[in-house]
Amino acid sequence: MRQVAEGSQAVSEAVRLAKVQVIAAYPITPQTHIVEVISEFCSNGTLNARFICVESEHSAMAAIIGAASSGVRTFTATSSHGLAYMHELLHWASGARLPLVMANVNRALGPGWNIWLDQTDSLSQRDTGWIQLYCEDSQDVLDTTLMAYRLAESVNLPVMVVLDAFFLSHTYEPVDVPDQEPVDKFLPPYSPRFQLDTGNPGAFNQFVAPHAYMEMRYNIQTAMEQVPENYARIAQEFETVFGRHHSLAEAVRCEDAEIIFVTAGTTVSTCRQAVERLRAQGEKAGLLKLKMFRPFPVDYCRRVLSGKQKVAVVDRNCSFGASGIFAQELRAALYHAESPPQIFGYIAGLGGRDVTPETIEDIYRQTENADKARTENIWIGLDQETVESWRN
Amino acid sequence: MTDYKTSGDKIPLFLPHSSASTALNKTGSWRYVRPFYDEKTSPCSAACPAGQDIARIEMLVSQNLITQAWETILEENPFPAVCGRVCFHNCESACNRAQMDDPVAIHHLERFLGDAAISSKETPKIKTLPDNGKKVAIAGSGPAGLGAAYFLARLGFCCEVFEAQDEPGGILRWGIPTYRLPQEVLDKEINRIEKLGVTIHCRTPITAETLESFQTQYDAVFIACGYGRSIDLKIEGAQKAINGLQFLFNIRGQHEVSLKAKSTAAVIGGGNTAIDVARTLVRLGVNPIIVYRRRRQDMPAFDPELQMALKEGVKLKELLTPIRIEDAGNDSANRQSPHVVTLQKMKVSTTEIEGRARVIPNGDKTETLQIDYIFTAIGAEPADPWHNLVSDKHPSLSFSHCRIVNSNVPIAYGGDLTNRVKSVADAITSGKQAAIALDTYFKSGCDAVTEAVSGCQVGKGPIVSMAMYLDRKRKDRNPHIVSYSEINTHYFRSVPRTIAPVLSPHDRRQSFLPVEYTLSKEAALEESRRCFNCGVCNACDYCRLYCPEMSVIVENAGRSIDLDYCKGCGLCVTECPRNAMALKEEDI
Repeated sequence: MRQVAEGSQAVSEAVRLAKVQVIAAYPITPQTHIVEVISEFCSNGTLNARFICVESEHSAMAAIIGAASSGVRTFTATSSHGLAYMHELLHWASGARLPLVMANVNRALGPGWNIWLDQTDSLSQRDTGWIQLYCEDSQDVLDTTLMAYRLAESVNLPVMVVLDAFFLSHTYEPVDVPDQEPVDKFLPPYSPRFQLDTGNPGAFNQFVAPHAYMEMRYNIQTAMEQVPENYARIAQEFETVFGRHHSLAEAVRCEDAEIIFVTAGTTVSTCRQAVERLRAQGEKAGLLKLKMFRPFPVDYCRRVLSGKQKVAVVDRNCSFGASGIFAQELRAALYHAESPPQIFGYIAGLGGRDVTPETIEDIYRQTENADKARTENIWIGLDQETVESWRN
Repeated sequence: MTDYKTSGDKIPLFLPHSSASTALNKTGSWRYVRPFYDEKTSPCSAACPAGQDIARIEMLVSQNLITQAWETILEENPFPAVCGRVCFHNCESACNRAQMDDPVAIHHLERFLGDAAISSKETPKIKTLPDNGKKVAIAGSGPAGLGAAYFLARLGFCCEVFEAQDEPGGILRWGIPTYRLPQEVLDKEINRIEKLGVTIHCRTPITAETLESFQTQYDAVFIACGYGRSIDLKIEGAQKAINGLQFLFNIRGQHEVSLKAKSTAAVIGGGNTAIDVARTLVRLGVNPIIVYRRRRQDMPAFDPELQMALKEGVKLKELLTPIRIEDAGNDSANRQSPHVVTLQKMKVSTTEIEGRARVIPNGDKTETLQIDYIFTAIGAEPADPWHNLVSDKHPSLSFSHCRIVNSNVPIAYGGDLTNRVKSVADAITSGKQAAIALDTYFKSGCDAVTEAVSGCQVGKGPIVSMAMYLDRKRKDRNPHIVSYSEINTHYFRSVPRTIAPVLSPHDRRQSFLPVEYTLSKEAALEESRRCFNCGVCNACDYCRLYCPEMSVIVENAGRSIDLDYCKGCGLCVTECPRNAMALKEEDI
């Protein structure tokens, strides 16, 4: 049924439709609406699940790790500092091979205290062994969350569904909320490959000596490498049932493009508009939407970007001392590609600052006018007066 | 080899998993602090003049172990049904629960248990020692004398009590009106003491001469004759006043008391006797006015009693002291009220005496009160000089509630003769303290007595416990008194205090029926569940439920820590709702 819903509610509806059995969460802006609605589903019986109230995100993650170990489908949601607080247990969840699904609302880390969009929170968890999927709009959020359970359970790795603070979490859009029946067809009940069982007592995840540890880590890496293939198959099945397709990355007007934007999240929508406007001006602009960040869709990127001239990556994050994280990842992915393009890195829209079609056009012009890409990123829209004053 | 990257098949998981028991890993070696069960002292039990183990008693009630609950009272107090009615319940003023909502209604519960004990057919299982061959003579059968007899008999002494009046009980029988303490309740509790083998000789007053002869016939003597004589007014016309205590005695003894209906009376005094006299007068159709020389807040009477009296219609006049009682004369207007009392107006001085405001005459301001009767209730004193302690010619040992003089045989003085607070519960403790002292005297000699008495003090206060004297378990309890901040209040929600049904003030004025009713069993169980059980394990099991190592072992209804696996995280101690656990550092 088509509804007008917030991105947050799209997550909640997906959790309901996925018949999640245990939810544990601690509220944090701008994630709160997600768990509020889920808690209502639990209390009014719409969702037959146990909602565990906890005192912190660390405990929320610990609680769903425990629940998933006993073989049930789980969910949590967080943002920013909450995600940072979970960090230790994010490693544990993937190491324990638990198919958790978590929604993370991209929000800036303090200080300065800031509740608006910034991707640094989720991207700084890139080495925790979690699959990361970024969403462009509310429909994408709902569909991705449903697919996330299939994906997680297919490889026994946790999945983080990422949506932008406010631009997505708090914006109302038309969303098609499917009926339960097709969802049940697409997503059958969770059938755990291992679980704690009082009838067969045993312990998981205890001490492991050097002779076996590396193989366990390699087992995770092998599973991660299987993700793009599994995702493609699941996305295909999803399209069969629901008529919508969400590929792990999406090339828009890239065939003849001379400058291709690469970005993720709601900025993709802005770039779509900018590309149309540039095309109308006769410019050969294109766009590569990155939906999957971990594992990084290396093959897809090489296929689309090899042989192109210039790529402009729009990062709403920064790895201080290096560069924007999407740009870094893309450079690494294309290093061994045949005739790789020049990669221009731009940092824009941190801490909720607007990235408008004009911002994107500005990036296009800067890329067009530069002969050679630089290693360091270009920061877009800095207040020059402030920055100059530091130099005096 | 399958190419899992592209086949879509699931890769075999390579995970740490073991079916071997983790018991191999003795995590107790990580510990640097150790939890232990550390039962502490509840503030109510430390405040109870009878030393009752209240937190444990309420815990037993809450578990519907009614018999064990009243047996636990009987360890310390032979008069729970009496005290449940007349004690001024210091315990409730000390109750930690007051800081959350209202104190636990401890006196209602005590009364419920006292009545349950009376109606039970079971012989109480309380600790007693075999006959030790010693005989003790006890002068006076009030709460101190009977208390001493009860505790001494349990310690193996043969006790004979001598009482001047027709029936035993002292102040309990003659001084407390039946609307507060019905006679049959008292009789049944005295009967329980007699069943322990105590002989009570009524109509046998003790004189200085008989005291001499006792010293050859008995191994010890306990003197608890109380304050048998009222203090008289020493003013002009004092002979026109009626002795309040004698009045109460006459009423209880069903002697002829004829007072004019709808007459008026002034009751001089501010203690419990003044209140009892006034409330008795109300029930006889007289309109009493209590005249007190200080202010209401200075009255030694227990405030709940005063409140009841005021509701029943008793009037109170403060800061007035009588200086003269005269005849009203013969003119017809005054025929109804034959007396005129001249009252000196008083005012509060800035200095205090023993914490009470001192009052001084307010110049020569006076007022007069024309009235039918004047009752005095301004205190009492020993009836005979020898009731007071004999001179210091013999060595003596002084304690909070008794004094032992080492004459030919040890002579103990107790009750009102020695107690700072003249209450029933203090009198009972006086008998208990003397019993512990005398038992130690005969077992271990005079020099051991002081240490023995101090060894069974509740929470290191002055009050002694017989259970601590006889039984290690309560003695081992930490004397630390649990404060409200040490209660894990997350485990408790606000629940209103149970209020016992009472007769309406109108009904009270009509009869001597008991004013308050005993709680029903359901109400008592509910009220007992309000108790925090400060410092006392009630087997709530939260320590075991929260232990991440499953190191709390429950065996034979007792709990212990499996130190092989306890990591010393302290969760059990933090979670314990009632501070019955503690952590201590390991010796490293």
